[in-house]
Amino acid sequence: MIIEIGHYALVLALATALVVSVLPVVGARRGDAAMMALAPTGSLVLFALVAFSFGVLTWAYVVSDFSVANVWENSHSLMPVIYKYSGVWGNHEGSMLLWLLILVFFSTLVAVFGRNLPDTLRANVLAVQAWISTAFLFFILLTSNPFLRLDPAPAEGQDLNPVLQDLGLAVHPPLLYLGYVGFSVCFSFAVAALMEGRIDAAWARWVRPWTLAAWTFLTAGIAMGSYWAYYELGWGGWWFWDPVENASFMPWLAGTALLHSALVMEKREALKIWTVLLAIMTFSLSLLGTFLVRSGVLTSVHSFATDPTRGIFILCILGIFIGGAFVLFAWRAPMLKAGGIFAPISREGALVLNNLILTVATATVLTGTLYPLVLETLTGEKISVGAPFFNMTFGLLMLPLLVAVPFGPVLAWKRGDLLGALQRLYVFAGLALAAGLIFFYIQNGGPVLAIFGLVLGFWGMIGAFADLWYRGNFAKVGLSVGLRRLAGLPRSVFGTAIAHFGLGVTVLGIFAATTFGTETVVEMKQGASVDVGGYSLTYDGLRDAVGPNYTEQRGHFAVSRGGVQVADVWSSKRLYTARRMPTTEAGILTFGLSQLYVSLGDAMESGGMVVRIWWKPFILCIWGGALVMMVGGFVSLSDRRLRVGAPSRKAKPVKATLEAAE
Amino acid sequence: MQYWATMVLWIILAALTAAVAAILILPFARATKTASADRAGEVAVYRDQLAELDRDRAQGLINAEDAEYARAEIGRRLLAAAGAGEGKEIAAPKARKYALATTVVTLVPPVVGLCLYLALGNPGLPDQPLEARLANPGNNVALLVAKAERHLAQNPNDGAGWDLLGPIYFRSMRLGDAEMAYRNAIRILGPSPVRLAGLGETLVASNDGIVTEDARSAFEQAVKLDPDNPRSRFYLGLGFEQAGRAAEARAQFETIAKGSPADAPWMQLVNQHIVKNGGTIATGQHTAQAPGNPSQADVAAAANMSQVDRQAMIRGMVDSLAERLKQDPNNLEGWVRLVRSYSVLGDKSGAEEALKSGLKQFPSSGELVALANEMGITVEGVAQ
Repeated sequence: MIIEIGHYALVLALATALVVSVLPVVGARRGDAAMMALAPTGSLVLFALVAFSFGVLTWAYVVSDFSVANVWENSHSLMPVIYKYSGVWGNHEGSMLLWLLILVFFSTLVAVFGRNLPDTLRANVLAVQAWISTAFLFFILLTSNPFLRLDPAPAEGQDLNPVLQDLGLAVHPPLLYLGYVGFSVCFSFAVAALMEGRIDAAWARWVRPWTLAAWTFLTAGIAMGSYWAYYELGWGGWWFWDPVENASFMPWLAGTALLHSALVMEKREALKIWTVLLAIMTFSLSLLGTFLVRSGVLTSVHSFATDPTRGIFILCILGIFIGGAFVLFAWRAPMLKAGGIFAPISREGALVLNNLILTVATATVLTGTLYPLVLETLTGEKISVGAPFFNMTFGLLMLPLLVAVPFGPVLAWKRGDLLGALQRLYVFAGLALAAGLIFFYIQNGGPVLAIFGLVLGFWGMIGAFADLWYRGNFAKVGLSVGLRRLAGLPRSVFGTAIAHFGLGVTVLGIFAATTFGTETVVEMKQGASVDVGGYSLTYDGLRDAVGPNYTEQRGHFAVSRGGVQVADVWSSKRLYTARRMPTTEAGILTFGLSQLYVSLGDAMESGGMVVRIWWKPFILCIWGGALVMMVGGFVSLSDRRLRVGAPSRKAKPVKATLEAAE
Repeated sequence: MQYWATMVLWIILAALTAAVAAILILPFARATKTASADRAGEVAVYRDQLAELDRDRAQGLINAEDAEYARAEIGRRLLAAAGAGEGKEIAAPKARKYALATTVVTLVPPVVGLCLYLALGNPGLPDQPLEARLANPGNNVALLVAKAERHLAQNPNDGAGWDLLGPIYFRSMRLGDAEMAYRNAIRILGPSPVRLAGLGETLVASNDGIVTEDARSAFEQAVKLDPDNPRSRFYLGLGFEQAGRAAEARAQFETIAKGSPADAPWMQLVNQHIVKNGGTIATGQHTAQAPGNPSQADVAAAANMSQVDRQAMIRGMVDSLAERLKQDPNNLEGWVRLVRSYSVLGDKSGAEEALKSGLKQFPSSGELVALANEMGITVEGVAQ
């Protein structure tokens, strides 16, 4: 009965979304407060219904109710409880429901925290959110319904895909979806502004926290996904330019551009049209990402959804939303007033450069991702666009951007002084060069390009603080006054510095891991040793072990340095009994920021095992940098300026009563 | 009981719908306020920008001239926003009628909800959490198996449990699990002819009927423990037959035939294999068995063949039947089958030939006469 109530709640959510899609828009047109007030109320109801429905599905997973087809297909009663929770979104239907849940969650946030918005804008934004909710509710109910039942119910489930039975599944999709779907708010803001035909600097400020939040979560989600693929798939790589990875990376690039262009718009009211376009593009790419993973066009690691009818349905959703938004844009954008002007060398100019490079990079990745798919559809020819293409195009594009990053914050608005900026930065450039050289000297060896890469990394890291240094004016006023001056700065300045620092850390990690890392493939018999990255690994044979729903053979390696044993690594091959599916579990040992990665291959006839061992120096910098970027995002998000105009300022006490009941 | 649960469900769904509609209608119930084209939020943003400009100026991040320009710029925005807010109050129609809107809000939830739910939902089906089902499994074999599996997951060394599960898995074609169950039972309780034969049979089944080395050694062990085990011996014979070692195969099959009662259900199959491996049917198997019936394995094999191969196989079987009837013509059913087989193959002369021979043996058989009429064959000396 509970399950049926959950199913009905989802149906009722569709009804609610339909109401919220239409009436508030009419209300905003007519200036009708009641109809507009329906938007926040309806959004809360929508969230409550979807959350309840999601909770019911989760319950079905936890109690292993195999009368629910979705549970039967993707769960097993003996699975550890954490995977029963995360398994809810470890499949197509459930993950779409999670997508929807996060979408209505964001609508609710807009409804609750958007009280400083003009009524019409808020009503329109929430209505656009409801359009998206409606589309996805239709999609879920008609093509991907997780509440379909089985009668009679099977006695045991078919188990969750073993690759997904990992903590990564509990963290990666929710973070990624928070990012993807967070950009829906920016999209809705853009569409609402176009509908109203009015857009100004304040709009940019209102959109900024949503962009920032979505960007922060997406950063974390991508980094998490990359780390998960790294340790779970046992290939030793951390980024494969896999279409599904690209699908999450493109909205990130566009979102990064949006984040920066919204800055210009907020300060100078310039780049309005461009910012609106970026907001639409970013969410379009998010939708495209959803489409790429879900339609079954792509069968990679994420191959838990393969059904062309769903693909066609999503294609319609894509067409309606992306196409519709662009049509609206083409119709309305020319009516928007242009904003302030600025010289090429200025903060605005630097941000435009950032935008240019990021959008071109996005286009590059989009081409590299879609071209093989289109080619295969049209001609049947299969080509693989892999790392070489992306390294040559995307990599080269990124180089000037990385060089330019530290310049942005130290340039003045409107009219900057490049010479002055160069003068201010040369000390930092020198420091970065020195650090890169020292690093290279310690690691000793590797191509010349590596020095450049390392310097670039340090340049990003050290240059990030140049702005803080000059703002504090430490050179003139000394440490204590400088610190006091820093304390008075808005948090977003620190957010910028931290995020740029994180970018530098990631760049450093990428170059260090790729140029100094080693890969060793050896056949090892029991007792054999191999030297990797200054450590010596001794293979100690295989042992059998039994997990809750799998059996495994664990290879034991003793790791020693200079004859002294420092650690143990276990690397195993598992067999998940319900699906009879083997997986490899890499053994990973962390030394500082570097890692030793051991993966078991096939057993040889001679009794030995093929073992792959990677030495990955400073690899943790890659994800650590992303985490730092995320911290930067949160710091910036906590800036009080983003909350300007909230009712607590008591500017208009009338407004507070108007919305008190929501 | 079930009926009441469904009733309760519908009541809850109705209440939920009503609640949603009621909440959605709330804004209209309080709809006496006017909408203000309120741009207070915008004004606040610009005021804050002015304050920020002052901070930047104080810190020397922007020079005086630029600061003045910026101040003017922000000031213009501020004035525009503040000015737009005034005098743009929309006149409040005192008692605005929301007939249409409230109708929409009241009707959409129940109509959309009911229509879609009736199409998609399954209101009569109760929740079925696994624990509750396991506590009361009834006669549901799958549940009993699941229960046994859980027990074994806790007590993996309960050999009797594995012993029980092996054959059940095998019958439900969960061959991997069957193999594991048999192996566990053998490991814990020790080998027995039944367990070994079961394991061997599972291995044969999971290898599409091929007696693999693994399976053979299991059967051999079983035969060693119990030389009279016909099942194991049969598979051993089959293995030899598949390896093309006809003499050894025949020896195995003949041993079974010797040790079995004449009416044992497997004798027919065993005899076929003896014949196939070049022997003659042993121990007076003259009960009215129709030789030439394809064994189940043969039928399964035929299903996988191409059309040509299948024709050839049927032809081969028909020919061997004809051969056997020539040696042992005292088999009415065999003759009938032979005639039918020839006609199926489209071999009219063969069918006539067989009919004649059969009628020679059984001149008064109504069955053969009827068959002759059916096929339109006139046979001399037979009364029409």
